[in-house]
Amino acid sequence: MLRYITKRVFSMFITLLIIATITFFLMKLLPGSPFNNQEKLTETQRYALNEKYGLNDPVPVQYINYLGKLAQGDLGYTFQFDGRTVNSMIANGMGPSATIGFEALIFGTFIGLFLGIIAALRHNSFVDYGAMIVAVFGIAIPSFVFAGLLQYYVGVKLGWLPVAFWDGPEYHILPAFSLSVGVIATVARFMRTEMLEILGTDYILMARSKGISKKEVIIKHCVRNSMIPIITILGPMAIGLITGSLVIENIFAIPGIGEQFVKSINLNDYPVIMGTTIFYSFLIVVIILIVDILYGIIDPRIRVAGGK
Amino acid sequence: MSMSERKLTPDLFRRANLDANKSEEISKPSLSFWQDAFRRLRKNRGAMIGLFAIVFVIVFSLIAPSLSKYGMDDQELMRANLPPKIPGLEKIGFLGVDGVDIRGVDQYEMKNVAKDQNFWFGTDPLGRDQWVRVWKGTQISLYIAFLAATIDLIVGVAYGGISAFYGGRVDNAMQRVVEVLYGIPNLVVIILFIIILDPGILSITLALVITGWIGMSRIVRAQILALKDREFVLASQTLGSTSGRLITKHLLPNTLGAIIVTSTFTIPGAIFFEAFLSFIGLGIQPPTASLGALIADGFRSLRIYPHLAIYPASIMCILMISFNLLGDGLRDALDPKMRR
Repeated sequence: MLRYITKRVFSMFITLLIIATITFFLMKLLPGSPFNNQEKLTETQRYALNEKYGLNDPVPVQYINYLGKLAQGDLGYTFQFDGRTVNSMIANGMGPSATIGFEALIFGTFIGLFLGIIAALRHNSFVDYGAMIVAVFGIAIPSFVFAGLLQYYVGVKLGWLPVAFWDGPEYHILPAFSLSVGVIATVARFMRTEMLEILGTDYILMARSKGISKKEVIIKHCVRNSMIPIITILGPMAIGLITGSLVIENIFAIPGIGEQFVKSINLNDYPVIMGTTIFYSFLIVVIILIVDILYGIIDPRIRVAGGK
Repeated sequence: MSMSERKLTPDLFRRANLDANKSEEISKPSLSFWQDAFRRLRKNRGAMIGLFAIVFVIVFSLIAPSLSKYGMDDQELMRANLPPKIPGLEKIGFLGVDGVDIRGVDQYEMKNVAKDQNFWFGTDPLGRDQWVRVWKGTQISLYIAFLAATIDLIVGVAYGGISAFYGGRVDNAMQRVVEVLYGIPNLVVIILFIIILDPGILSITLALVITGWIGMSRIVRAQILALKDREFVLASQTLGSTSGRLITKHLLPNTLGAIIVTSTFTIPGAIFFEAFLSFIGLGIQPPTASLGALIADGFRSLRIYPHLAIYPASIMCILMISFNLLGDGLRDALDPKMRR
């Protein structure tokens, strides 16, 4: 197991290095420098600015410097505000983004589990079909369409909840709900299949015939065992949440990382784009690693032998 | 007469006529795998509805733009922001296709639009016919979707197939590459790519080429690895089949089910990605518009002109749901083991 983890951590760093390299050189390929368009700058001023940001060095030197800084967790300065670091921007955006993400994850998992369990218990009934229709819609309808509709009907027409911005708890409800739709659908489908499989196994029959009540069998044996493989979908789900947060934060004007990222794309703020890209990649790679390791620990059958 | 008195005599029995030739006969016609799969698919109501909806949308996206006399970017500010109006359906209030906006003003009368002129999906702020734009946008979304599926089919299947078939060092090297690529979030690659190239169909296409095939290659590799050790492959090899024959006659046909299912799920993924990119401003650039771009534009004026967002959004949802339903159905029909 230890060998496997070491190997995985090593390949994780290779992946991150490649991502950093790709981002760096792609950014270098872009024409122009951030100070070219400002004609107010004199030649000396421009030179000084370039010097300050290290843009006068040859590209390989810049690359090494960049990697060196990156290794220390320094993502550089943004072009949007004077003297602000990308790190501080990400740190600022982290709060709302993480809050929304966790709220969506927890809410979505609970609702999804509930739907999946009742669908499996009432297999081939209206409850089952209803839950699965909800799941198909949840997977198929893009989160930004759903968010827009929620905003329009609940926020504007009915006026029950605030339309946008980030303030008290009531501001969390709509964005967290729109973000959680995908989670609900994925978890519900997964849980239903797992439950159905486990309900048909011999040990459930055994437990029932020992005289344990149905409720207890379902809670203690079925649900618990069905929940183990859910770990495997945590990785894709996290990626989905990050992708979703890019648009959801924009629609609801939440000052999170996703909103800043999209803003930076439109403003060509390259250090922020690069920094956020690497930050996202790091997040995803680490989540996938943790999920794989956890899975190996929980289910010894999946123990990865010899890297296959 | 009680039961015990009744004797069973031999003359109560008659010899059954057993025809030795007929005992082996199978009463049902034997079905090939594909016939069986098709039968199972046809029974799946959701999948059939999905299939019909997809065909409907494809046909409509091809013929609908020619039903209007306006082109994709014929602007006319005199008829800007007209609500939808469909002759014949005007009387049915809840459909909202009577040319009256949300304030209850008949915009067609107010803007002096000719009596015989109707815009079925209304017009946008520049007076372009939304009907044409929506269906042209559908064309673009579908084009990207099928492109993604094709890439999946060609690159993914070839990569996964070669990797698994040749095994050993080839497999090892190829899988290291996939491992690294798999770790890179494709959203990030796509966004980076589109920043470098200018946003547009070409860059979306390239971005999809780079990231799209990995999932497929993994699935194909796993399938072929499992098939490679089966007896029928060994038998064929023993009979002297070449690698080419093994691949085309034995390995690929047996993987086809998984390949079809995977590409059916690639399509809604690609449609979503394109729409997502257009939504954050990195997708198709004006004057062309995809569904995602139309939805993004429409949301800006959702309160006043809901028709601008609602039609493209509904078509998009119909497409996504249909492909998902069809994919689910195909998976159940083609590979009962893969059922999830």
